[in-house]
Amino acid sequence: MTASEMTSKWLDAYHDPVASLYTFTQCLTLADIQADGDWKLIIADLGTGSYDMKLKVYKNTNLMSEHAIIDLPTGVVNFYMDTLEPRTPAIAVASGPYIYIYKNLRPYFKFTLPPLSINQIEQELWEQAKHDNINVFVLRDALEGLRSDGQLLTVRSLKFLQLESTDLEPFANLHKHAPLKRQTVITCLDTLKKSLADEDAISCLVVGTENRAIYILDPEAFTVLTTVDLPSIPVFISVNGLYDVEYRLVVSCRNGCIYTLKRGSKEGSKYCIELNSQPVGMERINKTIYVGCMDETLQCYSSKGKKLWTIKLPNSITTMKTLDYSPRQLKTLLVALSNNEIRMYKDKYLVDIIKTEGIVTGLQFGRFGREDGTLVMTTRGGGLFVKILKRSAKFEEKDALAGPPISQNQKINIPKKTKLFVDQTLRERQNAVAMHRTFQRDLYLLRLNTARQYVKALDNSMNPISSDPTEPLKLSAQIQGIGPTFKLTVNLQNTSLSQPTSNLIITFNYDDKLYSFRNKFIEAPMLVPGLNYSFETFIDCLNEKGVSDNVKVYVLKCGRSVPIITGVISMPVTVAVAVAVA
Amino acid sequence: MAHVTNNNDENATDGNKSGQNQETEIPSIPQVITASKPKAKKAPELPVNERRNWLIHLHYVQKDFETCKVLIKEQLTESGGMCEYAVYVQALIHRQEGKIQESLELFQTCTLLNPNSGENLKQVARSLFLLARHKAAIDVYNEASNINTKDWEISHNLGVCYMYLRDRAKAKECFKQAIDIRRHDVSYVMLGKLFLLEGDLNSAVDICKNAVEFYPESPDLLTTLGLLYMQVGQYQKAFENLGNALTFNPQHTKAIMAAGSMMQGHCDWDVALTKYRIAAVNTPENPSLWNNIGMCFFGKKKYVAAISCLKRANYLAPFDWKILYNLGLVHLSMQQFASAFHFLSAAINFKPKMAQLFMLLAVALTNLEDPDNAKQAYEQAISLDNKDPSIPLNFAVLLYNNGDRRASSKYLSIFTQNIKSVSNVDQELLDMASKLGPLLHVGDNLVWKDNNKERHSSASMANKPDLVAAPFTRPTTSSAVETDIPSTPDILTETILPSDLLMGTSSDTASTKLSRTQTDMSEFPEVSDMHLSKPTTLDPLPKIESGKPSQLPILEQSSKNVPASTDLKRSPISDL
Repeated sequence: MTASEMTSKWLDAYHDPVASLYTFTQCLTLADIQADGDWKLIIADLGTGSYDMKLKVYKNTNLMSEHAIIDLPTGVVNFYMDTLEPRTPAIAVASGPYIYIYKNLRPYFKFTLPPLSINQIEQELWEQAKHDNINVFVLRDALEGLRSDGQLLTVRSLKFLQLESTDLEPFANLHKHAPLKRQTVITCLDTLKKSLADEDAISCLVVGTENRAIYILDPEAFTVLTTVDLPSIPVFISVNGLYDVEYRLVVSCRNGCIYTLKRGSKEGSKYCIELNSQPVGMERINKTIYVGCMDETLQCYSSKGKKLWTIKLPNSITTMKTLDYSPRQLKTLLVALSNNEIRMYKDKYLVDIIKTEGIVTGLQFGRFGREDGTLVMTTRGGGLFVKILKRSAKFEEKDALAGPPISQNQKINIPKKTKLFVDQTLRERQNAVAMHRTFQRDLYLLRLNTARQYVKALDNSMNPISSDPTEPLKLSAQIQGIGPTFKLTVNLQNTSLSQPTSNLIITFNYDDKLYSFRNKFIEAPMLVPGLNYSFETFIDCLNEKGVSDNVKVYVLKCGRSVPIITGVISMPVTVAVAVAVA
Repeated sequence: MAHVTNNNDENATDGNKSGQNQETEIPSIPQVITASKPKAKKAPELPVNERRNWLIHLHYVQKDFETCKVLIKEQLTESGGMCEYAVYVQALIHRQEGKIQESLELFQTCTLLNPNSGENLKQVARSLFLLARHKAAIDVYNEASNINTKDWEISHNLGVCYMYLRDRAKAKECFKQAIDIRRHDVSYVMLGKLFLLEGDLNSAVDICKNAVEFYPESPDLLTTLGLLYMQVGQYQKAFENLGNALTFNPQHTKAIMAAGSMMQGHCDWDVALTKYRIAAVNTPENPSLWNNIGMCFFGKKKYVAAISCLKRANYLAPFDWKILYNLGLVHLSMQQFASAFHFLSAAINFKPKMAQLFMLLAVALTNLEDPDNAKQAYEQAISLDNKDPSIPLNFAVLLYNNGDRRASSKYLSIFTQNIKSVSNVDQELLDMASKLGPLLHVGDNLVWKDNNKERHSSASMANKPDLVAAPFTRPTTSSAVETDIPSTPDILTETILPSDLLMGTSSDTASTKLSRTQTDMSEFPEVSDMHLSKPTTLDPLPKIESGKPSQLPILEQSSKNVPASTDLKRSPISDL
């Protein structure tokens, strides 16, 4: 498949790399909010991440309206909350502990999550503080005790505990009259059809919260219909079924587990998939669960939690979304990767790759405007891109995985051998014996020569490690600098285990026409075993023609004419001179 | 404020008493000021500490660590460092960045913030584990298991810790517990490894079987099972599993290598080569792969290609004795005896206890007209392995050619004893023995002279040249055909080893291989030692080498190999 073939399945509809959107897949939705058959794109924009949060509605490619949101939006869904005509869906924006409902692009209702239960003692403590029965320090100590017991406290108590002792009083006075409450935060939002499966049937809202619970809300009365407690905090929810009949919630949590909840289950630990890595996206197509993980794998599980397959992806996943294109009965999975690609998988077969400009963090597929197959993408850099699926596009369920891989037909790259190699082979064949003998003889000569040189070096103390067992020393020397002045560093180490050495002298042998040593004679102190001693001297190169020579370092013992160790340093050419000569 | 709905407007009017005035999340919003205007007593809404956890998490899983860090910082300033999850993610990011110590400290902060969380303790333990403080990690895991009972992760990681502390009994217990809780393939793999370390192959096979039942489509598990079956000698099952692995992932290099080496065992050179093509694209720098490809070409009698591939393998893994062995073998059959000698002696440096290497070296030395050293090499080979029938036979041939008929017949009788204990003897060996047998019983002088004549004239009596040719054709086939099957079990030890076809004899038992698994890591340093000593030890047999120059006159006579080699000369060189 060539790149052009791939891209040809999609038409570019809109292209705005600087839309300055900060949003995610869960904050994108497509809905026919005016019931005019012209579907709008609704984006909850996180603004800068701390202010300027907005709900943006795009009609075709134009920004139709903008609404400010007070806190960071967590998720956006559209759903039908009544049976009124015309059938206009409502938009629900989850943000903090609230869900804001919009109808006809007008704020309609605000739902607040039920407050959490407050620790009884904490409640009483604040009650007492309100009536000034206890002073703030007692209050603080009591609260601190509760906290260290591992009790969950309200924000007010937590803030109170962090204050300096001078600030306690004003804080308590300011807050003590307000009723104490403990709130949670919504982490994910989805919808669940209530009793009919029609496209415009009334839906319940399914809300996951920071206090490890899932609430299912009634769309008309906005009461909590069902509460389910989870072992961990939900991150992604996938819902299917009908609330009144049978439904299934698949919830991926922050502890890296995926729980399956059925109608009637009160807690979700029964069916559980434990992942090896945190999920980045989770989608459910028919009866299989697709999970994209942080370890760059796409995994597929059956609804019973049995692992079906794993695909290793070339890069890390940023988000995932199901592509459900009903005119063609096409259900595939879109996986956005951090190498600016969106890969489309049908089962485990890669069927398409879409190249994008920037790392896609928001994906939505569905009807937009009057076009059925529209892919909306937002990127990390804030861009907004819309592509339309070509009606002629065909996605073959063919893949490199089926049949032998392409690489099987590639020739093995065998290193070529030259004519010379063949000639040498022939020569060796004819003269193997002679070659072998010559080689063996030369090898012996080489060894003999080496041994001789070694003995000679030992005799002349030319080696950098002392052969004298009474004076075990190690010498190393370094030359630094680019000339004409060099710095010579002589390192001496006493390698004996216990015996210190003393009365050592370092001196040098060199061509005095070439070099001048500023310090020709160094007296070494007593050398303690194991330590490294370094001695330095500067050398000036007197020759300007880029000539260099060897310099010898002798380590002498007082009263002995033969040096203990000798080091030979080949001096570098003075660079300045060399450059000038060149 | 406009958007906060109709009934919210009602709220705003009676806001101060109902306390439902929650829309004022952030103090900076103008709404708050208006709300707090009526009475100074109205307390500002306090933001929930956890309010941005979801966003932090989202950025974390998308690996947008930079943004994540900024968010964490904001969140921690806002909450005064009390936001547990922010600290937790910061610690995770530190770990991802390799700052284990920092992450440990932050996880410890988390446990201070929330002492009841098993998750935090698990992470502390994990960091300790990564810092190789296994004992401390075990303590913390045990603490965590008091909070989270029946946690797969805790049991599994405890098992890993015990494994590193070499407490295998406890490790096994932990893994079994982990599998009871949740059947994770990782636990199966670890438990299998543990059994392998103990040399309990059958239990390892059972564990792998269980795992495969639960994860039937995992190529890794199937390959592991296949390799285990190879080790216990059930080649049929091994091949089935490897084949399954390849159907699920035709690119699985490990499975390709194992299956390929089995195909080579059955002389399916072309099939093996097509499989290797896939592997060659995936792992072009795998020395074992090139070794196997080389031996495929060798099997197909494309010697130049074989040498090219083997040399590449040797370049990629200069310290692998098996590649050197194969190179020696191929050079022997190319009649490049001097080169063969070098490769074999290098191989012997790495593997000094391997009889077959000495035998090949002896063959090379024979052809290099150094019978004294050849004899020593044979003797060394026989002292290392007195089961292999090919060694005494080759030795007998050498001795016969040098006129030492008594010794020759002695080794021939050793050979006949040895074949009795071996089940499937190569026909070529028997043919050779049956030729040598009668010759040894014929009258001395006559035959000896005859032979001499024939050698020079290369006349019709084919006995002699055949005999001479034998010593080197024999090793090629024997090692290429017979010994490569037993060699394959080696695969598991190092992922790449499947390749090394021509490794040991069947006496290379499972236990010795297992000990290699254990010292997997320590193999490397060993190798570097070799490197240091290498220049000085080019010839492995110092004894053998001594006093060679004086042998020239004797060697002259036995320059008989030349006629036998003619058939080889043609084919290989024109190959490419």
